[in-house]
Amino acid sequence: MNINTHIVFFLILAVIAIVCAVLVLALKKISHRVLSMAFCFFAVAGLYFLLRAEFIGIIQIMVYVGALSILFVFGMMMTDHKNVGFGPERKKVHKFLAFIGVGTLLGFMLYGIMGMNLPSNNEQFIGSAEAIGVELYGNYVIALQAAGILLLAALIGAIVLARKEAE
Amino acid sequence: MVPIELVLALGAILFCIGLYGVLTRRHLVIVLVCIELMLNSVNINLVAFSSIGPFANITGQVFTLFVITLAAAEAAVGLAILIALYRNRESIDAIKQDLLRW
Repeated sequence: MNINTHIVFFLILAVIAIVCAVLVLALKKISHRVLSMAFCFFAVAGLYFLLRAEFIGIIQIMVYVGALSILFVFGMMMTDHKNVGFGPERKKVHKFLAFIGVGTLLGFMLYGIMGMNLPSNNEQFIGSAEAIGVELYGNYVIALQAAGILLLAALIGAIVLARKEAE
Repeated sequence: MVPIELVLALGAILFCIGLYGVLTRRHLVIVLVCIELMLNSVNINLVAFSSIGPFANITGQVFTLFVITLAAAEAAVGLAILIALYRNRESIDAIKQDLLRW
């Protein structure tokens, strides 16, 4: 693929991701919002494929689009999803202040990114699953064990928290 | 090849959308969804530097795997807390959870 095809694909995926992220905030029903989140993650997975990080793209689809979306759908169905609005919304001042703060942060970040002077790199790095595995079990083996313990703790914690209290 | 500034700008925009959602929404499930969006934008930055950065190597993708693990664990525990909260207080409105407010 030449450079223009890359940029066109990137722009399409970026627009899909941003529109879906905005729809997460704008839609009325909670189920539609969760569906929109899944599409946003799908677009980001496509972006990873474009950046030649295929393994991360597959993991993104499996974990985010597959597992987390289902988890959120269950969490939504077990709580009050029928109640769309909660009566009076947050105060207008609160929303306005949040918008101003986040907008300022975004402005500073974009200014910093555009003014960045990185040395150019013309070779695109292709990360294979084998290289990730070698690095993960070589340099980062202690972090890998810690991640395993974290998952075990999260599993037990989620079961203990969500289970009914015994009489 | 995509210029790296565009990818970083996409990450910044997604992060700010998620941050705005966390600050303004009242439904706690949506707040968790927005936190996931923010973590995802961090992943975009890591993969961008790992793939087309000035010193491209595999480390960014390894860290992305760790962030994905963390996000999954956080979502599971967060939703469990939401279910317990809903069972005890009959509401998952963020404003009504003011038991610890002074």
